[in-house]
Amino acid sequence: MKRRVIAIVFFFLGRGFAACARLDSRVKREIGRWAEGTVVTLRVAPSGPQTSWSVRDGVFRHLGAREVEPTLLVTFKNPEGALPVFLGMKGVLQAFAEHRSTLAGDISLGMSVVRCLHIVEGYLFPAIMTRRILPSPAHREKSVVAAYALTLAVSSAPVFVEGGAA
Amino acid sequence: MIPDYYEFRNSTKILSGTGAIENITFELANMKVSRPLVLTNKQLRSLGVADIVIGALEKGLIPAAAVYDDVPVDSSVSTVNEVAKAYAKADCDAIVAVGGGSVLDTAKGASIVITHGATDLMQYMGSEVLVGDRMVPFVAVPTTAGTGSEVTSAAVIKDTERHVKMGFVSYNLLPDVAVLDPRMTVGLPPRITAATGMDALCHAVEAFSCRQANPLSDCYARAAIDLIREYLPAALAKPKVQENRLAMANAALLAGVSFSNSMVGIVHAIGHACGGVAGVPHGEAMAILLPHGMTYNLGVVGDRYGELLLHLAGPQAYCTEHPADRGGAAIQAVRALNTMLHDKTGMPLTLSEAGVTEEHLPIIARTAIDDGAMAFNPRDAGYDDVLTLLRQAF
Ligand SMILES: [Fe+2]
Repeated sequence: MKRRVIAIVFFFLGRGFAACARLDSRVKREIGRWAEGTVVTLRVAPSGPQTSWSVRDGVFRHLGAREVEPTLLVTFKNPEGALPVFLGMKGVLQAFAEHRSTLAGDISLGMSVVRCLHIVEGYLFPAIMTRRILPSPAHREKSVVAAYALTLAVSSAPVFVEGGAA
Repeated sequence: MIPDYYEFRNSTKILSGTGAIENITFELANMKVSRPLVLTNKQLRSLGVADIVIGALEKGLIPAAAVYDDVPVDSSVSTVNEVAKAYAKADCDAIVAVGGGSVLDTAKGASIVITHGATDLMQYMGSEVLVGDRMVPFVAVPTTAGTGSEVTSAAVIKDTERHVKMGFVSYNLLPDVAVLDPRMTVGLPPRITAATGMDALCHAVEAFSCRQANPLSDCYARAAIDLIREYLPAALAKPKVQENRLAMANAALLAGVSFSNSMVGIVHAIGHACGGVAGVPHGEAMAILLPHGMTYNLGVVGDRYGELLLHLAGPQAYCTEHPADRGGAAIQAVRALNTMLHDKTGMPLTLSEAGVTEEHLPIIARTAIDDGAMAFNPRDAGYDDVLTLLRQAF
């Protein structure tokens, strides 16, 4: 059950990230700095779910749950530790500090991913949830409706990374 | 305060005090070691500090099978690989690392290469990535009283070719034995004594107030600050008195245990960036930034800082301060300590005095928000927050 709930959140988070990569300048700027070939994966041990995003040939993509070889892998040790994070009850960084997840790869990239996730969550989650987990009240450059419309529409369509992959 | 969840480990055996170095061979024998590699640097060789350890190994009939004394100021991948080669070539079966943070981090990196037969250290970057037992018995002998690296599960190693600072956090990196012997630090010059002492203080203060502070790490942090309050001034006033040096070595170790289990925050994130961008020595960056970082966090963890006033300023000052004002008073206590160190050793009080320029500030801010330590700060900080803080410390 917990894994199923997380899988649903991953669906929205994955697409929502791709949507924000189109419509939010801050997310655009962040992924513009990701190295070519970057694959970021969030995974829940021991058997999933997972979701990934990549920058290949200067294009940002949501890869969904497919098998990938991540350059940055955040693994939650179990669904119990992951659920509060993806239900907006605990911040990503707090969970990391509590050893709920491991991180394989460059922590600097991890910090960029967290900043992006905070912005994406600001669009996708209602204020009552984000108040507890975001650094400051969610600041949205575009409307929630636009973000949701794009989230549901774009699926895994590619987003050209501004300034190419640096 | 009890956290929702925390983890804690300090499995390192600690030898502290007179003759600690002479007990290393007993510990090596316990671990069935017969051919240790001694890892150190040229400066410690020329000062005769490393040779106290090398001599003790000889006398204890487990002489160094090899001595690698070419560790540079910043630990790098190429050095780590060379050390691993020297280890294999001399058929070594343990590492005895004698030095400051860079020597100990190099030893940790080499232990990864040796254990995992790693050809690319980058594969092991991250937090809790290393699996299985470490195959290298590891004795750490710190020669400064600051980094606490002898009891921490973290290492930073630079890849100078790829311009990447690789961070490793794993319980696998904890040394088996940490050796605190006053002979290792008795000759430290005043400014280094001051700066490394402030690094230790910063570890304790940040560990006590960061996201993963817990009852166990709190004990270590409080004990560390008590020792620093009493013995940092004493070590500067009477540097040759071994008790002062041993107490500071203990303070650094206690603070190390604390932050290895609770991590550090914004002061370290910005301090690392000041080091990388402008070459500010780590301890000096810590001293300059600590009051500013505390001020930034005051609204979130003011009560925690208030608790620290007892340790920073002593019972008298704690009792006479109104509870609501104790957090602010703790920051004042750190400022007073900085002023004293500045007067006694010439340690800088501002970033500009430490060689940072106006042009550096945006680059430092940009670098700092990507630093892993920022993840654990109790209050989130973005680019603008960091830039404001930097201007205040400038
Ligand atoms: Fe430090």
